[in-house]
Amino acid sequence: MSTLIEFKDVVKEYKSGDHVLRAMDNVNFTIDEGEFVVILGPSGAGKSTLLNLLGGLDSTTSGQIIVNGEHVENFNDNELTKYRAKNVGFIFQFYNLIPNLTAIENVELMKDIVDVNIDGNAVLDSVGLTGHANQFPAQLSGGEQQRVSIARAVAKQPAMLLCDEPTGALDSKTGVLILNLLQEMSNNKNTTVIIVTHNAILAEAADKVIRIKNGQIEDITINEHPKKVDELEW
Amino acid sequence: MLRDIRNHKIQFISIFLMAFLGVYVFVGFGAESFGFEETANQYYGETNLADGWIYTSNLDDDFVDKVNNLSLTKDSERQLAVNSIADFDNDPDITLHFLEDDDISQFYLVKGEEFNLSDGDGVWLDTRFAEAKNLSVGDNISFTFEGITIEKEIKGLGYSPEHLYQTSDSSMIPDYTKMGFAYLSYKAFPLSDVPYNVLLVKYDGNSSAYEKQLDDDLTRDYSTFMPRAQHPSYAEFQDETEQHQMMTDVIPVIFIVIAMLTLLTTMTRIINNQRTQIGILKALGFKNRTIMFHYISYGFWMVLAGSILGLILGPLTLPPIMFDEMADLYSIPYWLTGFNISFIIVTVLMVVLAALISYFACRNIVNESPSSAIRPKVPKVSTSGFLEKLGLWKKFSFNVRWNYRDAKRNKFRALMSIFGVLACTLIIVASFGCMDGFDEMKEWSYEDINHYSSKLVLEDNVTSSQIDYIVDDVDGEKLMESAIEIKSDDVKKSGVVTVLDDNDLYTPTDDEKNPLEISESEVSLSKKMAQLLDVKEGDTVKWHIMGSDKWVNTTVDKIHSDPTSQGIIISKEKLDDLGLNYTTTSVISSNDVYENYTGVKTVFSMDSLTDSWDDMMESSMTVIYLLAGFASLLSVIVLYNLGLLSFTEIKREFATLKVLGFKSSQLRKLLLTQNLWFTTIGFVIGVPLGREVLQYLWGTMGDSFYLNAHISLKTLIITFLITYVISILVNLMFSGKIKKLNMVESLKDNE
Repeated sequence: MSTLIEFKDVVKEYKSGDHVLRAMDNVNFTIDEGEFVVILGPSGAGKSTLLNLLGGLDSTTSGQIIVNGEHVENFNDNELTKYRAKNVGFIFQFYNLIPNLTAIENVELMKDIVDVNIDGNAVLDSVGLTGHANQFPAQLSGGEQQRVSIARAVAKQPAMLLCDEPTGALDSKTGVLILNLLQEMSNNKNTTVIIVTHNAILAEAADKVIRIKNGQIEDITINEHPKKVDELEW
Repeated sequence: MLRDIRNHKIQFISIFLMAFLGVYVFVGFGAESFGFEETANQYYGETNLADGWIYTSNLDDDFVDKVNNLSLTKDSERQLAVNSIADFDNDPDITLHFLEDDDISQFYLVKGEEFNLSDGDGVWLDTRFAEAKNLSVGDNISFTFEGITIEKEIKGLGYSPEHLYQTSDSSMIPDYTKMGFAYLSYKAFPLSDVPYNVLLVKYDGNSSAYEKQLDDDLTRDYSTFMPRAQHPSYAEFQDETEQHQMMTDVIPVIFIVIAMLTLLTTMTRIINNQRTQIGILKALGFKNRTIMFHYISYGFWMVLAGSILGLILGPLTLPPIMFDEMADLYSIPYWLTGFNISFIIVTVLMVVLAALISYFACRNIVNESPSSAIRPKVPKVSTSGFLEKLGLWKKFSFNVRWNYRDAKRNKFRALMSIFGVLACTLIIVASFGCMDGFDEMKEWSYEDINHYSSKLVLEDNVTSSQIDYIVDDVDGEKLMESAIEIKSDDVKKSGVVTVLDDNDLYTPTDDEKNPLEISESEVSLSKKMAQLLDVKEGDTVKWHIMGSDKWVNTTVDKIHSDPTSQGIIISKEKLDDLGLNYTTTSVISSNDVYENYTGVKTVFSMDSLTDSWDDMMESSMTVIYLLAGFASLLSVIVLYNLGLLSFTEIKREFATLKVLGFKSSQLRKLLLTQNLWFTTIGFVIGVPLGREVLQYLWGTMGDSFYLNAHISLKTLIITFLITYVISILVNLMFSGKIKKLNMVESLKDNE
């Protein structure tokens, strides 16, 4: 498997007045193509910062982020936008669907930003939402909304799926189903899936677990035999 | 509280501005238009302007007694009013008033000594004329009339309520170097027996009741009775007042309504956006009352401050601009800024409504339990409508779908935006339409109907051989235009009779401005006059020429249209048939005439006529520019404000779209599309409505004007440009915001 993502000595500082907050302190790691990665850490550890940097929502203070051989840290706003459109599929804690658009329209929306032919119905079928295509987000349950969100993210066939606490707003049963779906995507379709969470149990299901604390990497574990999500004890 | 205001700086500024602008325009224009009325009322009251004037040549004591014996007569006073030429190079026309008494239509003194009846050596002169001629108290001046020359000492300078608006035969608009008036005692008249020719009367009741009494008891032993409404100076000022009222009545009201509506929308939304915070305050244990007080006082102070500032600044700044324009046209000693109770009512209404709307918006949230208030309101569920069911829907881009649904979900906001654009379009169309109308009238009147190069106005006593000589010399045509009174069953109006004598340089027109053939035996009535008298073709009207008491009945054979002169057009032959005297009043010619002929009072060139017209319209232009300017400003505020509100609401969606990889330009286009939709709808509805308003305005413009409202292509383009430029400009203001939109933060501060 080839390396998809590489973080080299990444530093991110936030300035507020005279005070400088170092949210990311010399972070180094790599993620391979098709890996199912869980990034673990307590609140304030720098999980979101990492995700934002990787997702092209924010830029580094120093260091390098190399994705598919491209140096993301050098990108300007426009290039970042293109990078997000092409490489990153976002899955949010609160789904962030466009309330004005139906499920299928939310998925097919991606046609406006990437040059990919998307069959909305097929994608929705693949996340188990057959029959819900013409419903609006507000008419769907949380789990269903998150499925639409996953469908939206995978529709454009991105290099990676970035999931920020994807089950945070769901009950545990629905959460398992969603995680299951994500794991399957990784295993069957060779999609790189990166999940940011504070839920340590998920570590057992990951190919790679990156633990961060106080903006630094605490530990990187590779599971030779990850468990299935539904085999975990919740 | 202060922190809240800082955080919502722009919204509070716009609330303040809307309240201010609404009240400012409403009260400012109101103060000006009511000011006209108040000025007139006070000035006429102070100088005790006559209620009516009875003109007759036999004004002996016996006649005066008869009039005084009428039950309705309160007071009367004799005068000799005579035209004279003052001794200056340009032969200015001065109307001399020899007074028997000085209670009615008093001279309003500004300099020198009070008018003195027993002073036979003094003259009290028109101060505007004195200014123009550099005359002052103590100077001597001489006048010539009916072959008599008198020389008097100027004892005082001032104004006359009968000469508020002055024009002479030599000038269509007031030119104080060419005309004026003077008041003298009867003792100043060179003969002991003053041949009084006008009786000023004050009476009870209305003019028609009084005229009836005059007719009944005096058996029409006089030539003309002129009530105030027909007095040229009084009527002109009245017309001007109405002209201003027409523009300032309708439009500022539209203004205040838009201001109020947007204000209310904004305030409701600001409070709704504070929902979560209200919930937190409740959860923390603040009393409902405390929370309500906080949020109501919120917008309340802004509205109060804005309204009061508008209430104060409106009357202080707008009327002076207008009065300055008017001062050239009207000789009046002072201008009052009007006041009307509606000013206060509107201001109070504005403030009270603002407080009420905040109260209700707030109460709805406060009355919820803290646990539900702390959560954001459940978004409204979109539903598929009929448009989505069409196959066509699938072909629409995301842009179209998103905007359509967004508008559908926020119907009120959409309606408000449309309404804002609509009202602004309407005001701009109506304002510039007025300008078009003035141009149209000018063209119609001075190109289509009157297409001579020169008009020679003849003196009253000119002989027919003199006329023939002039006609021959300038290769001209004879024309008779005389003032008439015209009656249908129950309406009486004054107008003009135009008598044609094979004229080529004067062409009556129909409603389409095409030449209208009026045969020798026909009588044609102007359309506006027909409307005023409520008659149509085939009906009979009764009329007489001013100065003669011979009334004739004629059938209306045709209806012609004229933008500036209302009355009757007949042929010389028909006039003879009716037994009326033909008197040539002017000679018109296609040549430029520079020579001075005996018997000619004045020569008008077509250029001077159109120049005068332009001057006359200038004061209206000021109103138009002001209104159009304010309308544009208001639409910027309304659109920006609504844009800002919707932007706060869709910020999260936009942040999401941006995260997903949408370019800022795509998002900007999304907002622009919506703006353009609303602008287009507002524009498309606003233009025809503006035309309706314009039509209404022309209708109220005064009896002598007639015009159908047209919107010229130019106006349409100007309005289009203004409206769309504003719309796009406002959109540009948001492009920076989209660019700066912090994706991370927008996603975090979530529900």
